[in-house]
Amino acid sequence: MIEIKNVSKSYIKGKKSVDNLNLDVKNGEIFGFLGPNGAGKTTTIRMITGILNIDEGDILIDGKSIKNNSLEAKKSFGFVPDSPDMFLKLKGIEYLLFMADIYDVPQEKRKEKIEELTKKFGIYDQLNNQIQSYSHGMRQKIVICGALLAEPKNWILDEPMTGLDPKSSYDLKEMMREHAKSGKTVFFSTHILEVAEKLCDRVGIINNGKLVFVGTFDEMKQKFKEETSLEKLFLEITEK
Amino acid sequence: MDKVIKLTKIFLKNSFSNMDARMGISSKSKSKILIYGILFLYFAGLIIFLSYNLLDGLISIHQETIFVGMILFMIFGLAIFQTLFSSINILYFTKDNEYILPLPLKPYQIILARTGVMLIIEYVIIFLLGLIPLVMYGVLTNAGILYYITMICSVILLPILPILLISIIVMIIMSFARFTKNRNRFQLIASILLIGIVIAISVATSGTRDNLTNEEMAQAVVQANGMIEIMKGYVPTVDYMVEALTTNSLFIVVINIFKTFIITAVGLVLYLIISQKLYFKGLIGNLFGSSTTTSNKKINQEKYQNSKLYKSYIGKEFKTLARNPVFLLQCLLPAVLIPILMVFVVYSSLNGDGGLAESTIKMLGNTPTNSFLIIGIILGIIQFFTMFIYISITAISREGSNAIFMKYIPVSLYRQYIYKIIPNIIMNIVTIIISLGIAEYILHLPVLTLVILFVIATIMGILQSILMIIVDLKRPKLNWDSEYAVAKQNMNLVFPVLLSMINIVIIALMVYLFKNINVYLGLAMLGCLFIIATFVANKYLYNNQNELANKIS
Repeated sequence: MIEIKNVSKSYIKGKKSVDNLNLDVKNGEIFGFLGPNGAGKTTTIRMITGILNIDEGDILIDGKSIKNNSLEAKKSFGFVPDSPDMFLKLKGIEYLLFMADIYDVPQEKRKEKIEELTKKFGIYDQLNNQIQSYSHGMRQKIVICGALLAEPKNWILDEPMTGLDPKSSYDLKEMMREHAKSGKTVFFSTHILEVAEKLCDRVGIINNGKLVFVGTFDEMKQKFKEETSLEKLFLEITEK
Repeated sequence: MDKVIKLTKIFLKNSFSNMDARMGISSKSKSKILIYGILFLYFAGLIIFLSYNLLDGLISIHQETIFVGMILFMIFGLAIFQTLFSSINILYFTKDNEYILPLPLKPYQIILARTGVMLIIEYVIIFLLGLIPLVMYGVLTNAGILYYITMICSVILLPILPILLISIIVMIIMSFARFTKNRNRFQLIASILLIGIVIAISVATSGTRDNLTNEEMAQAVVQANGMIEIMKGYVPTVDYMVEALTTNSLFIVVINIFKTFIITAVGLVLYLIISQKLYFKGLIGNLFGSSTTTSNKKINQEKYQNSKLYKSYIGKEFKTLARNPVFLLQCLLPAVLIPILMVFVVYSSLNGDGGLAESTIKMLGNTPTNSFLIIGIILGIIQFFTMFIYISITAISREGSNAIFMKYIPVSLYRQYIYKIIPNIIMNIVTIIISLGIAEYILHLPVLTLVILFVIATIMGILQSILMIIVDLKRPKLNWDSEYAVAKQNMNLVFPVLLSMINIVIIALMVYLFKNINVYLGLAMLGCLFIIATFVANKYLYNNQNELANKIS
């Protein structure tokens, strides 16, 4: 569970990039975080994950504050950043084992988990190669595998579908559904509204640092009294 | 031409973007300008001092024109060495190559812009090392305005040819990139090959130079003159500019500048013709060739074994350093190469003088006071060697945009900082062991002295590692277009030099202050001083671990 309480962040004095954000992402839920470029999505995700300091408010992950108990909070989530170009000089297997060591994945589990994830994403045969030899999509897959290795309760994914082929994208979406079904949380940002529409239990739309809508797709339609696509509703909300 | 200038500006901005931001007049820049100003004045003062002494000696025997020849050859040589180090990175390993190739630019525009970047970097170095001595010459010989105009022409024209020449050699080597199955390995081999050329040249030339130092001044002048005469045959542009700088005749000046200009222009045209045939083949081979040999080997079962976090993290650091040609050459190898190379060059040339210096050093070591002096000298030399280890000073910057990884994993930032500086400490210890091994071979120091030296040098290494990661955290260079921008075009690299200078001054002061007390007591006090400094630096790193990471976001 992710609780965002009265969170604000400014890069420039007097201009809030995220303004008094309040949001709860419940267990068993897939939450899509939407917004135009520069709306504050990445800033919010970076505050949730502890990359950016929070100016005001607090964020709790499974009840642990990212501000005051950051190490424990960080153990509760797996994060996929927006750029998968990481540790390019390491071999795929070296990267995954490094992540397994960081997240204390037990000896007996790591082999099974690495094989399961990498076979699912079709990169098992590439594990002995350096990540820099991977395509963009394969890099995205190895980073996702690294984040999911320790079976974190909360998944935080920044644009996870970028670069994935249809099969991997489908598999990831299925995994997200399974994860939520087992009572855990998925929080992800995306620009692909169709994915959000079909996959998310709820969506949040952020614009100019403020959360302008939170709810289900049906609630959004009711609120705006329109029988239209998420795309049109999104444009209407963000261009207001 | 307009596009070439714009492209050169973009390449330069890309390489030095962070530095520009730091050197701008805005935000806390006054203290930074002051630091750079002090550093500049320090180096400029050193060069003025050395130039003055050399010129003074030469003027006294009416041979001052040799100085001009020496400086112009130095400019030429510097351009060769600098280009050997930088060209492969600037031409082939910058990230923006992928974005530049699809743009509607003519090949010669890209080549000229890349070459322009090398030339501008060269001019910055030459301004300090070449222009200042030449101005000194002008001042001390009461030269007129004609000399200064000619001097500016020399400084502008002379570095061009060596840059073109070395770039062509690099392009020939890199044109084989498209035939290789593993471009990373090829990059590494090509880089090492170029460094090998640098080392071979430096060993060969240093031997000759050092043999000259103990000759009589007149004989040295004759020999130096002879050397310059021989080299003039190979480098005609230097010959012309020496002639132009040492004459009062306007006609001779104009003719020689014109000859140099024509040769340089012809060189440039030839360079453009050859490089257009070679450069892009190599570049495309390097960019789009297989980056590693793909392996279908099954993963060993042992590979899945748990590893302690510190082992895993430090192992990751070493792998990243060793598998990247630029980081390997700039961060790891200097620890081994620099002490061996320097001692080899100095010691072999000293032996050439009949072991005079060796016996002098041994003689110095006979009394306890002088033993302390020797110990101080050894510690100073180790400090000098270790300032070339750039692991800690680039620990954060090397990660680039991946540095955010440090902030979202459940490992405290302090622990990560320590894991990141351990490779620096290990490589420091390697340098210390090599240096002490050589010192032991030459001086036959007592075991206790060796142990104390090892301990103090190691503490200094730990202090250096902690301080340098603090500097990198405060001034990280995270947006870079090539690894070269981090390991070479990074103003932070002056800080290890600055720290080593401070340490050397402290050592010298301690040696002076404690000359009348027991050597081991003096060394213990020196050790205590550095232990306290290390403790304070570590405490600062621990207490400010989160604030220090604010620039990583």
